[in-house]
Formats: sequence, C-alpha cells, structure tokens
Amino acid sequence: MRAGTRNFLLGTLGIGLFLASWETIGQLKLAGISWPPLSAVLEMMADDNRWPLFRRALGATLEETALGYVWGTGAGLGLAALAHLLPPLRRGSDRLAAVLNSVPSIALGPIFLVLLSRESTPAAVSSIHVFFIVFVSVSSGLQRATAAHRDLFAVLGADRLKRFWRLELPAAMPALVSGLRLAWPAALIGAIIGEWFGAPRGLGILIINAMQNFQIVLLWCAVLLAVGSSLLIYGLLTLLERAAYARFG
Amino acid sequence: MDAAAKRPLLLRLVEDYWGVFLLLVAWQLWVIANSFNPIVMPTPTAVLGDLVTHPDVYLRNVGITLAVAAFGLVAGMLVGTGLAVAAWFSPVAAGLLNPLTVLFSSVPVVALIPVIARLLGYDTSTVLAIVVIITFFPSFVFASSGLRSPPPGAEDLFRVLGASRLSVLWRLALPAAMPNLAIAFKLAAAHAILAAMVAEFLMGTSGLGYLFAKTKSDFQTEQAFGASAVATVISATAFLLAGWVERRVRERYA
Amino acid sequence: MTAAISIDRVSKRFPLAGSSEGVLALSDLSLGIGTGEFVAVLGPSGCGKSTLLRLVAALEQPTGGTVSVAGEPPGQVSANHALGVAFQDHALLPWLTVHDNIALPFKIAGRRADEAAITRLIDLVGLSRFTTARPRQLSGGMRQRASIARALVLEPEVLLLDEPFGALDAVTRRQMNVELQRIWSARQITTMLITHSVDEALFLADRVVVMSGRPGRILCEVAVPFARPRDPLVMRSQDFHRMVDDLTAALETQEGST
Repeated sequence: MRAGTRNFLLGTLGIGLFLASWETIGQLKLAGISWPPLSAVLEMMADDNRWPLFRRALGATLEETALGYVWGTGAGLGLAALAHLLPPLRRGSDRLAAVLNSVPSIALGPIFLVLLSRESTPAAVSSIHVFFIVFVSVSSGLQRATAAHRDLFAVLGADRLKRFWRLELPAAMPALVSGLRLAWPAALIGAIIGEWFGAPRGLGILIINAMQNFQIVLLWCAVLLAVGSSLLIYGLLTLLERAAYARFG
Repeated sequence: MDAAAKRPLLLRLVEDYWGVFLLLVAWQLWVIANSFNPIVMPTPTAVLGDLVTHPDVYLRNVGITLAVAAFGLVAGMLVGTGLAVAAWFSPVAAGLLNPLTVLFSSVPVVALIPVIARLLGYDTSTVLAIVVIITFFPSFVFASSGLRSPPPGAEDLFRVLGASRLSVLWRLALPAAMPNLAIAFKLAAAHAILAAMVAEFLMGTSGLGYLFAKTKSDFQTEQAFGASAVATVISATAFLLAGWVERRVRERYA
Repeated sequence: MTAAISIDRVSKRFPLAGSSEGVLALSDLSLGIGTGEFVAVLGPSGCGKSTLLRLVAALEQPTGGTVSVAGEPPGQVSANHALGVAFQDHALLPWLTVHDNIALPFKIAGRRADEAAITRLIDLVGLSRFTTARPRQLSGGMRQRASIARALVLEPEVLLLDEPFGALDAVTRRQMNVELQRIWSARQITTMLITHSVDEALFLADRVVVMSGRPGRILCEVAVPFARPRDPLVMRSQDFHRMVDDLTAALETQEGST
C-alpha cells in the first residue's frame, strides 16, 4: 500500500476513533452530564428551530474577524513598510508590535469599548492579533529580495520607492499570505473574546450564555460550529497561500 | 559613571521603546482630553500609582498565574514532544495523530474553557489544562518536524554505524530537534501566560485573570488595568527571555 | 583484520513515479575486492557507483544478485559495528566537538571510548589543535578529515569512501589524497573508493574499475602498477599521465550514452 493512501486511511481511522469514543463516552455518561454523545450534539445542530440562531451567531463572528483582518493587515503592512523604508524605526516598531501582542486580549476589551463601540470591539481585538502576525511576516518577507536583485534595481536607476513597489513588496507577498493563514486561529479567538464585552451577538456570546445557563449540548454545538468554520476558513486560506506562492514565489 | 558612557544606554532605550512610550503618552493625553471618569478609563500614571501602592495584591496573584503558566508550559511541551517521539517511532501512530492534531489545533481554545471547566471543575486545574492544551500543539508540530530534520547524511551514518533505533532517537533525532523545540518554547511562553489569564477571567478562581475580572466589576478600574499591565510586562519579558534561550540553543545545536 | 567484498551479479532497480519498470541503476554487475585491497570505482555521473557503495553499506538492498562481506550479508557488518564509511557530505553532528564526533561510533556500539585511539587518529589526520572545535568552525577539508578519522576509529574491517573529497577545491583535494594515502598505509584496510577523478583513483588504488553509464556495468579493470607507499611525485611520471589518458578515454566513450 502506498504511503499516501496509508496515511489517508490512518488519518480517517484516527478521526473515526475519536468520534466513536466521543459518542461512547457520551452514551455511557462516563464523564458525567458534561459530555453529551456526539449524536445529541449533531441533532441539535440540525434542528431547524435552532439553525437561525446559529447562523446569526456564526455570521456575526465571521464578519467581525473579516473586519479584523482588514484593519490588522492594513496596520501590519503599514508599520512593516514604514520600518523597512526608515531603518532607524526598525527596533522600535519590533518592540511596539511585541508589546501590543503581549497585552492580554481581555484587557483590550474594555479599552476598545471606550475607544470605539460595543459592536466594533470584537473586530478591534481580532485586528491586534492579525496586526502582529502580519507585521512579523511582512517584515521578514520584505527582506527576501536578494542583494543581486537590489543591485539590478540600482543599476537600472530605480529610486527607493520604485524599488519598494516593484521588488520588495511583490517579494513579500508569499510571506504576507502565509501570515494571513497563520493569523486565523488567533483572529478568531480575538473576536470571540471581544464579544464578551457587550457585543449583541456572536459565537462568543453563544458560548457564554450556554455556559451560564448550563445548556451543555448547546455549548458543545457552539464549539463544533467554531471548529467547523475554523477548519473551512483555514483550508481556504491554505489554498490562497499556495496560489500566492505559485504566482510570486 | 560619566555622561558619555551613560548615553548609549539611554539612546538604546529610546531607540527600542519610542513606540511604547508614544502609546503611553497618547493614552495619558486621550484620558485628560476626554475627562474620563477613572472608573471608565484611568490614566497610565494612575495605574502606575496603584501598582506601587498595592504591591501585595499583585504579587500574590502574579505568583499564582506565573506558577500555573510555567507548570502548564513544561507539561504541555513534554506531552507534545512525547507524542512527536511516539509518532517518530511508529508510522501508524504518526498517521493516526497528525490529522487529529490539525483538527484540534483549529478549535479556538477559548471555546474549550467552559467545556473543560464543566469536566474538571471551575478552578486552577482547568486553567492548567488550558495552558497544557495551548502549549501542546505547537510543541507537537515543531518537535515532529525537528525530529525529521537531521543534518544531511547523518541518518545514513547512523545506519552504517549499526545504531539501534533508541540510539538514533537519543543521539541524533532529539538533538536535531532542539532548535525547533526552542521556537515552540518561544511561541508558547508568551501564550501560556495570556491563556492562563483568559481562563482565570472566565473561571473566577485566582490569579491575574481573576483579579482583572473582580476589580473590573468592582469598578476598581486602575487595579484592573494594573493587572493587565503586569501581565503584559511578564508576557513580553517571557517572550524576550525565550528568544534569548532560542539563540543559545541555536548556537549549540545548529 | 580485514575482509573481502564479493558483489555477485547484482542488479538494482528503483521505482519511478509514472513508470512501471522504474529506473535500472545497476545491471548484472560483479566485482570482487580482496582482503586489504584498495579498489577505486570510476564512472560518469549517474552511472550508479554511489548505489553500488550503498549496497555494500547495506543502505540499499539489491533487486537481484547478492552482496557479501567476508561471507556475511552487509547488514551484519554494520550490526557488528565493523563498517567505516565517509560520505560526500561529511555528516558531522553540529552539536558535538571534533573529539566527540570521532568518539560517536564507540557510543553507538555501546563500548567505552578508547581515548588513546581517538587521540591517535586526531593526530593522524592532523586536527590535534581542533579537538574541541565545532564543525562550523572548520574548513571543508578539515571536516572531511574528521569524517575519515571517524570512519577509522573502530578499526573497521571494511572502509567505504563515497566521493569524500567531491566538495573540495582542486588544491585541497590533492592534499587530501596524499593524506589519505598516508593514513591508509598505516593499516591497509579493504577499501572501496567511489570517485569521478581519474588522478585520485590512480594515486590511491591498487585496482581501478571503470563503470559504464546507466544501467551501471563494469566496462574494464586496470591494475595500478605503482609501488607502495605512493610518492606524490608519481603523479608527474609519464606512466601516470599515460594511464590517466587511457582511463579518461575509457570514460569519455560513454558520453551521451547515459
């Protein structure tokens, strides 16, 4: 059996075993009522009455992360470009980004609540995570152009801006898209945490409410929703990354 | 110490931290300009004041969060590396584990906190479990790839020398994986503390996260921000220290 | 105590994606190396000479025919820790010093490191001042010398050298050839050297075997008449030049046949 086929089968087996044990533990109540069987969770997910609630919550959170991506990418790209074009700013920008990344997300919540609004807070918290990862990725990507390339541009008489626009920025594209993919889990977490500070709806709200009202199955549903959408988006971003490497690599 | 010798340090500090400094100044001015009630948004100076006047509160909670984070970090790295070694020994284990870990790594950790709290209880054990989970995935991924990146020709060398599998693991694969493990450690160190804090925030037991939640709801906003400031400093320092460790490891093993 | 290598009608076929027969690297090849004999295998790139060495080192299994070392399967020799190999990439471990790298075979064999033997070898290869240095601090030639010392440290029955000097510049390479000759003369182990340098083969070996392009077969064998120990000056002699020309011609007749 070829290695590729074997790994695929093993992988499926692994996931299958996990799902089977989930169901078993739930049915036999081995972990108490806090671990419902997989079938119960899936049943609730498929419930027509619940679905609008799930759809709204998921939609809201995904919207927030999308917005977070836009802001975070803009800020990360901007600061990285600035630090690249003005080398004295390099170290300070690195430190600033590192410090911003070290601020606990739960602390960012109240800050953005005052600075922006209840609705914008999740996107803002999400954007900080995206900002840091994009900043680090683009900073290293901008240095990807080799000395030989830079010499070429010097000989062709290109000024600093032209060189940035036509050489360094395109060279940084693969790193940027890699960064976008890597930032996804953190962005989602940021949005969920941001919602806890007064957002009207979203996955984070769903989770908190389920937790406080002891609705176990609903809680697991929310987790499953988060995982499902996370995997899907991650898969899409991976495809995007491959395309970027094919075009710019 | 004369002025000339002192200047490089000051210059270095300015060079490194102008961004942070600007941010703090902007914060101070923003609060003053908007005449914010300290309950809504305190100034940085007020936060600093609280830190200085109530050190015991902070120290007590920092100790707890730091201990849990450190313990969870080590445990998570051991579990992650251990499973990576198991996958290295057995292709069957590797085939089973790899997709499972991809699946698990896409679960937003914060979503797991309520679930695990129900299973393990609303206390420190949940916080520990969360830190282990968050450090386990990067360790597993980086250890797995590191174990499989020995220096070129070294695998053939060990076969020719008649080395046992255990010998290959101990003398070749594990040392070769050290640089990668150092990277995982760097990433996990900063995240461990922040993850512990989020878990404490939701659980309401003890530690910096709990301090933040409690003081925020008691309208002691300076102290809430103080807790955040302490967490930020520790997290950033952990990241820097781990970076130093990474450089040392790279020098020795790469 | 050294052993003889017997390669008997050996073929090796590699699978190739998209092709059902794969690639035939070696075809019905037979070669014998006597105890204490130094044989150099010459051939163009891609003729399978490295594959041949890997078969003797038990790093690959033949698809047809047999390989034996002192009457036993090659895997047995490495299991007995009696095989010394120097690869083209030196494969020194970056986290060990020169001393520890050379001591590695002892550790793997589960024996106590023979410090006297290690020191002797380090002196023999001329690295006495670099005992505690790391590979990254050494030049290419020095790394290869360490690699050869490591190959000799367990007093192996068989020594296999796979283009050990391929990555070095011409001048260093020539120096290393003289060094290797000097080192080998001390013990005269059964040796198989893979190389594409005619000079090197003629200077070092008792017998030179020329391989054809893919699939690898033996084209011809030449006994090297020069007296041992070999003086570097022999490389200037008329006989030497003539033999180089003959062998080069033998190699060139295969250009375009691969």
